[in-house]
Amino acid sequence: MVSRLQKFIISVGGALLLMLSTIVHSQSEVESKLVLGDSARAPHITVSLISEMTHLRPGETNYIGVLLEPDPEWHTYWRNPGDSGEPPVINMSANADIEFGEIQWPIPQAIPIAHLVNYGYEGANLLMLPVSVSQSLTAQEVSITADLSWLVCKEDCIPGYATLDIELPVGESNSTSQYATLFEQTRGLLPVKQWRAGKFEINQESIVVSVSEFEQARIGTAQVWTLFPFRSDIAQHADAQQVVVDGESLSVIVPRSLYFDGEAENLQWLLSNGVVGFYLDTANNLSAINSDSEPQSLSIAALAVFVGMAFLGGLILNLMPCVLPVLSIKAIGLQNIEQRQSIKFAYLTGVLACFNVFALLIIGLQAGGQQVGWGFQMQEPVVVVLLSFLFTFIALVLFDALDVGSRLAGVGESLISGKGWSSNFFTGVLAVIVASPCTAPFMAAALGVALVSEPLVTLLLFNALAVGFALPLTLMYLSPRLKNILPKPGNWMVTFKRVLAFPMLATVAWLCWVYAGQTSSQAQFGLLIALLVFSMCLWLLGQLDTFAARGAAAFVALCSIAVPIYLGATSLTSGNSQQVVADHVKSYSQALLDELKSDNTVVVVNMTADWCITCKVNEHVAFSDPQVMALLKSDSVEYVVGDWTNKNQSILNYLKQYERAGVPLYVIYAGDQHVQVLPQILTPTIIINAINQARKELTND
Amino acid sequence: MIKSLVAAIAAVSLSFSVVAAIKVDAEAPQFSLQNSQGEMVSLADYKGKHVILEWTNHLCPYVMKHYESDNMQSLQRKYTDQDIVWLSIISSAPGKQGYVDADKANQLTSERNATPTHVLFDPEGTVGKLYAAKTTPHMYIIDPQGELKYAGGIDSIKSANPADIPKAINYVNASFDALLSGQEIDKKLTPPYGCSIKYKS
Repeated sequence: MVSRLQKFIISVGGALLLMLSTIVHSQSEVESKLVLGDSARAPHITVSLISEMTHLRPGETNYIGVLLEPDPEWHTYWRNPGDSGEPPVINMSANADIEFGEIQWPIPQAIPIAHLVNYGYEGANLLMLPVSVSQSLTAQEVSITADLSWLVCKEDCIPGYATLDIELPVGESNSTSQYATLFEQTRGLLPVKQWRAGKFEINQESIVVSVSEFEQARIGTAQVWTLFPFRSDIAQHADAQQVVVDGESLSVIVPRSLYFDGEAENLQWLLSNGVVGFYLDTANNLSAINSDSEPQSLSIAALAVFVGMAFLGGLILNLMPCVLPVLSIKAIGLQNIEQRQSIKFAYLTGVLACFNVFALLIIGLQAGGQQVGWGFQMQEPVVVVLLSFLFTFIALVLFDALDVGSRLAGVGESLISGKGWSSNFFTGVLAVIVASPCTAPFMAAALGVALVSEPLVTLLLFNALAVGFALPLTLMYLSPRLKNILPKPGNWMVTFKRVLAFPMLATVAWLCWVYAGQTSSQAQFGLLIALLVFSMCLWLLGQLDTFAARGAAAFVALCSIAVPIYLGATSLTSGNSQQVVADHVKSYSQALLDELKSDNTVVVVNMTADWCITCKVNEHVAFSDPQVMALLKSDSVEYVVGDWTNKNQSILNYLKQYERAGVPLYVIYAGDQHVQVLPQILTPTIIINAINQARKELTND
Repeated sequence: MIKSLVAAIAAVSLSFSVVAAIKVDAEAPQFSLQNSQGEMVSLADYKGKHVILEWTNHLCPYVMKHYESDNMQSLQRKYTDQDIVWLSIISSAPGKQGYVDADKANQLTSERNATPTHVLFDPEGTVGKLYAAKTTPHMYIIDPQGELKYAGGIDSIKSANPADIPKAINYVNASFDALLSGQEIDKKLTPPYGCSIKYKS
């Protein structure tokens, strides 16, 4: 666990301390009774209470310490003694109101004792304690008492108890005691003060701890690092740890103790290379993930907040540039028109229907194993293309570019400003569709929650959003007073309408930019030309007289939509290969696995996730090994990867077959007749042997 | 040649068994050892009875904590009175701390008013390693069906100080309270604490 060099460094340090302390010791007994408190000799150890300064300085942090000097080859313990043993316990008290801090544990060493490993200190060791003395302390002298119990061990152990006193004058004096160098020396053996954050994962036989942005990882070889857990019951201290360094991130595979039930939110460690030490506070990676993306049950209060946010988000959505023009026209068109009661709610019904279709679509896709979020529709180039044509069309309608007589213009007009139930209903649907590229403030958070919640909550939040969205216009339908607030119809309306066409075109510009990101700049150019042709054909529709000519124009308009969709589809396939997925890697599905198995080939299944530290360690150590990579690429081996980054049901079902609740899981099949589950921590040899074994199983039969 | 290879493999598998997982709710490993009266005692002899295994070393301060306070003896009395079998096992190798011969073992039992059903000798350490016994004391409970139900520390406070005994949760008592009332044991595996067992190797 600890290299020879480190042991050397530590033992030299220890020996230095020992020498130093004995020298100072003999002096102190003659010269000063003040800084040396009691010293007690017990079997195989001498314990003393000492102070760094000759005085206790009010308003400052002073250091006193318990010096443990065991006989040669005997040792005392760190805060976690390891497999056996016990840390020293120090209970401080004083006859004045002063505060004692925690023991400053020097970096320990791993001491193998027969079949066990202990964490502790061979040779002399000083346990420093900060002492704060308040400014207002009036006493001239303070008497400090340390109630001390310890265990000193070679192979056998001897417990001891002592009560040690030290009397120190109170004063501003900065004079150091004979022990000051010993304190200074010990400071060099302490871990770095700042804590670092990390993550851990509990596997069946190991705990994997990882810390990133750890620049010291670059120094020396990985194996010099050792993790000392604060808890003694979680790790198999006597078994070797494995350290994996990848740039500035360092992962340690710690063998898991039989006695560890695996329940832990946080674990603390000391990470040391024998010379420097860093305290690590690590959080359970799984619980971090769970709170992120597992369906959570929201409290009623939290749910109410999110419903409120969804509602507000819906309201604000009305003001978004893609929505406002459509709704403004509608609102203005409402003036002075009395409608039947049913028509007043048609718009609301349209909005509700459309949002619920969205919600059900998302719930359905999620149940089918896809992780989708709001905006998922925008990830499809087809949808982006169709939306860009829709917005162009609306802009043309607003510009009155379509001949009023034409049927198409009628469709456009009635969609936006029609009077009947169905036209109002479709205004609602259209409003939601044109709103789909926009996200309003408040809406994002609420939808984020909706997308990771149970279906019922998803539906509830989408409906709150729908109601908020439909509210302004519905109120205008219902209340004549509100209608009267709107300006009187007149010529200004034509101008206003045309002005509103520009936000529509702005949206088109944005959509083209999105499309370029998904495809290529050439494809984007194709889309722009197609939009131009489309607009021209629609204008021609109004200008041409003969049926045949109009038919031709309509046909070209439709074709112009098809071109960018085709371009999007072709460039998407080429774009796919950029997603790091190498050729020989197949993406997991149950059907694919069944098919591969029935082909009598060796199949390697790797269930992984981006957030999984253990998976990353294995990918770094085992899967990136050239021999393993060559095997996985060979024709006789199929390599199937299941990505559980966004948890889904189909992979969960697979994991459950092997009684796992999470990744990593590695399984190797030889056709249908042989299955082997690999350990959660892999080496290249394990994979190579398992693949060879599977190959043998195939040829044997 | 082949023989030595087999021996080497056996040695490897034995050294592996030191860390071999001891499983609760699984069948307890079978063993036979000599007791302090010179008789062979097998775990199989006690099928149908609860059995408690106690790894011990009379010179270990943690064992002394529980004997000098009469804590261990009162547990022995309490459970042997209920027809439960108590086996104290010594895995110290000859020449190491805690190793005793039969006479000394009997003397210790009478001096300390201990009432184990048997004191067993495991000088080779095979049974200790079979059970992955790490420390003295290290406690195991086996049910009448021969299943291991508890493995671990004697109580919840890791110290050599007898004053901690009343403050600690005694895991032997807690486990039997659950077992005898047909409930699931809350903590079936706990970290043992004490002195390392002074194995031969």
